[in-house]
Amino acid sequence: MEHADADPKVLDQPWRIWATAAIASVAAAGLLLGMIVLPVVQGRNAGISAFDAICRALGIQAGSPAMPQPPSAAQAIPVTQVAWSAELIRDLEQADRRNGEAIASQTCFACHGERGFAPDNRNPNLAGQSALAIYKQLHDYRSDSRFNDQMTPIAKALDDRQLIDVTAYYAYLTTGAIDPTTAQVGDEEIVRLVERGDQSRNLPACSSCHGRRAGGPTETPSLVGQNEGYLIAQLQLYRSGERKNDIYHRMRSVARQLTDREIARLARYYSTTLRQ
Amino acid sequence: MTHARRLTLAHMWLAFAAFGVAVVLGVWQMWARSPIPAPLHTPDNYFLAVTAHGVSMAYVLPTFVVMGFGYFVAETALRRPLPFPAWGWAGFWLGVAGSVLAAATIFAGRASVLYTFYPPLTATPFFYIGLVLVVVGSWVWCALMIIAMAQWKGENPGKPVPLAMFATVANAVMWLWTTVGVAAELLFQVIPAAFGWVDTLDVGLSRTLFSWTLHAIVYFWLIPSYIAFYTMAPQAAGGRLYSDTMGRLTFILFLIYSLPVGMHHLFMDPEQSTGFKFLQMTLTALVAAPTLLTVFTITASMEVAGRMRGGTGLFGWIKALPWDRPMVLTTGLAFFMLWFGGGGGLINMSYGMNAMVHNTSWVTAHFHLIFGGTVVIMYFAIAYAIWPTLTGRAFASNRPLRLQLWLWFVGMMVMTLPWHYLGLQGQWRRVSEFNYADPNIAGWGPWVVVSLLGGLVLLVSGLMFLWNLFGLHRAPLAARLPDIRYALAVHPPVRVPAALNGFRMWNVVVAALMLLAYGFPIAQFFLNSPPEAIVHRTVAGN
Ligand code: HEC
Ligand code: HEC
Ligand code: HEM
Ligand SMILES: [Cu+2]
Repeated sequence: MEHADADPKVLDQPWRIWATAAIASVAAAGLLLGMIVLPVVQGRNAGISAFDAICRALGIQAGSPAMPQPPSAAQAIPVTQVAWSAELIRDLEQADRRNGEAIASQTCFACHGERGFAPDNRNPNLAGQSALAIYKQLHDYRSDSRFNDQMTPIAKALDDRQLIDVTAYYAYLTTGAIDPTTAQVGDEEIVRLVERGDQSRNLPACSSCHGRRAGGPTETPSLVGQNEGYLIAQLQLYRSGERKNDIYHRMRSVARQLTDREIARLARYYSTTLRQ
Repeated sequence: MTHARRLTLAHMWLAFAAFGVAVVLGVWQMWARSPIPAPLHTPDNYFLAVTAHGVSMAYVLPTFVVMGFGYFVAETALRRPLPFPAWGWAGFWLGVAGSVLAAATIFAGRASVLYTFYPPLTATPFFYIGLVLVVVGSWVWCALMIIAMAQWKGENPGKPVPLAMFATVANAVMWLWTTVGVAAELLFQVIPAAFGWVDTLDVGLSRTLFSWTLHAIVYFWLIPSYIAFYTMAPQAAGGRLYSDTMGRLTFILFLIYSLPVGMHHLFMDPEQSTGFKFLQMTLTALVAAPTLLTVFTITASMEVAGRMRGGTGLFGWIKALPWDRPMVLTTGLAFFMLWFGGGGGLINMSYGMNAMVHNTSWVTAHFHLIFGGTVVIMYFAIAYAIWPTLTGRAFASNRPLRLQLWLWFVGMMVMTLPWHYLGLQGQWRRVSEFNYADPNIAGWGPWVVVSLLGGLVLLVSGLMFLWNLFGLHRAPLAARLPDIRYALAVHPPVRVPAALNGFRMWNVVVAALMLLAYGFPIAQFFLNSPPEAIVHRTVAGN
């Protein structure tokens, strides 16, 4: 290119000027189109004022410049009133377990057992259940998202503090080891359902949510060592839609696919399995 | 060749070892997605495999190829020893330590979060720390490349930096800019969350920071291939480079337009406004320019070569090219795949059309074609071109090399074309299995099986590649050490404007464009903090 002895300035300056001009003009064209022309045109069609449309395109007002905010009188009724927040999780971690134990001994031991093992097979064990699962269910009873003749009045009698403390107490108890002689690990078909699901029915694997580090929803309860009668009842309640506090129908859509026989065998599997 | 020989070999073998493992996993993944039952197929294993495959292919393979090739170019193009080789080794061992740490966490099942991390999911912190070590090792490489060029310029005032080195340094400078986004995401958001120091994390911000990196990183992967197009292919064809200036412009355009465009990966995301997405789309359209420049320049260079070899007529020069030489053959095959891959890319980057292909198999098929195809096949060609110099041995015959390259090309076309089609049918990416009992999905089965066959051809080709390189180490030493020569331009430059001989001005331009394109989009998270997501730990006990 060019001559070796040309003055470097003569060679360099035009480059600098032209390159800057070219780059700046393309950027300016992008800005003009994206921030002004298109939003104004689209906003007009959507009945949005030019000013609002530009603010939306810039991101200083919510919404898209091409779409009016949908007017809706419908009121969403959430299936649960629980909203997970970092504060709530911290409160659960820092709860007063002693106070929780005191409340439990007065009100809960009768049905859920002293160490969280329910004497009656139809009542749930709470030992080793995750704090998030216990909290959500108690809160749901209290807000009528889940209903049960026995539990609803009990939960309604607890205030926020008590609810958190009693949750922490039960979550702190560890699950007892299951008696290996009762373990039923031979049920191949059910193990497959638990670990692989059944594609032909759009059934995801139970362990994709109920596993130990499965990455399922935060509030997913542990099922290992849960009472058989209780598990059967819950799966049936989900299936009939009587229990409907599961967010996004997660469990209702699962249970709807299960046969009575499968429910019984799943309940047996979880109530006796040694696996996590 | 003094220091760089062993340094290059070490980097490249690490890269290709990771590649070897990942190819096997890739085939298993395709099998798992097909209607044919695959062994060990559980969702857990699937996501473990995709994480290992993605991390190996997207981080380990290209990073170490780029570094190794950079060391090679710095010595052979500048014709002077590499400065501070001990630092080069330090960077390499950092990279080894990081790769091993990351691999260990993945195969222990404690890091199945895929190579894009997916916050607020968190894996064990050691997974991210391993990747950070790899990045830090690559920063050492960037520094050495910049120093090597600066020293050469000091010794050769006023002379144009050889194009191969100019391009390598362009890549190093770009990589420094590129890694800022992901490094900030990992260091300030993901790693603290993984350690449990924070309970919440702003997913909008982390996705925006990742997008900062996500486009430029693909050009980081691509640039070695372009260096080969400009400086090795014309030489191999027995011709000359049509224009040195075009080459410089291409690499500069890559540097400035790879960065302020990453938001085209966020078109369907809610955290950014339409205006900034549009702006970045406009800038994205400009990264097509260097590729068009390249297609033109390299085709012209090949025509020069073809005519020098006696080719005549409109297309006669194509026939006259020495297609039996691996570099020439590969350039042709790579261009062919670039044609399809580039077309797909134009669809992805169009704000409106993106909505149709977003998160479908189309996207995975697209980047396998352009990255696994065009880019990786050029890595093969580069390895074949430099291995004789590195080992002092010559390939006895080019036939096994050509067969391997053809198999890769055929396998990639057979795998990716049906995969694209499946994406248009709505097949999701990143899912571990499909319900072929569903009548809507049953029709996908045969297409996935064809893709799987393509994958098997790729597996054979990938293993042949390793075998070819491995074999060369055991061949007898050549009598005369083969030397590498880079293509001369038709008009070799004597003096180029400062703007085409360094990066000072372009760094200012990048800074300005990044401020424009990402300034407010990032600042908004601090000006008006949105609610954060609760960290979701996929690994118990940390
Ligand atoms: C009169 C017996 C009774 C008492 C007392 C009682 N529970 Fe319950 N609890 C039950 C029954 C029965 C169920 C299952 C209800 C259903 O099917 O919805 C239940 C369910 C629960 C659940 C839901 C478990 C799950 O896995 O979803 C929690 C949590 C719970 N009880 C906590 C408590 C606490 C805390 C107390 C004390 C404050 C308490 N219960 C007192 C009978 C009782
Ligand atoms: C998509 C995730 C997911 C899958 C898959 C899933 N579950 Fe659940 N399951 C949940 C969640 C979340 C809850 C808690 C719902 C609520 O908030 O009330 C739950 C609750 C339950 C309960 C009630 C437990 C209690 O303590 O009250 C049972 C029983 C249950 N699941 C069984 C199963 C079985 C059996 C399968 C497999 C056939 C399965 N689940 C698959 C997410 C899942
Ligand atoms: C034998 C050849 C290959 C086969 C059969 C193959 C197959 C696959 C499959 C099936 C997936 C998972 C896609 C999904 O879950 O949606 C995948 C992911 C991926 N592949 Fe490959 N691949 C091959 C080679 C390559 C090459 C050469 C590269 C690049 C160098 C590459 C890069 C990637 C990356 C980065 C991902 C991660 C994608 C994600 O996380 O969504 N692959 N591959
Ligand atoms: Cu991109």
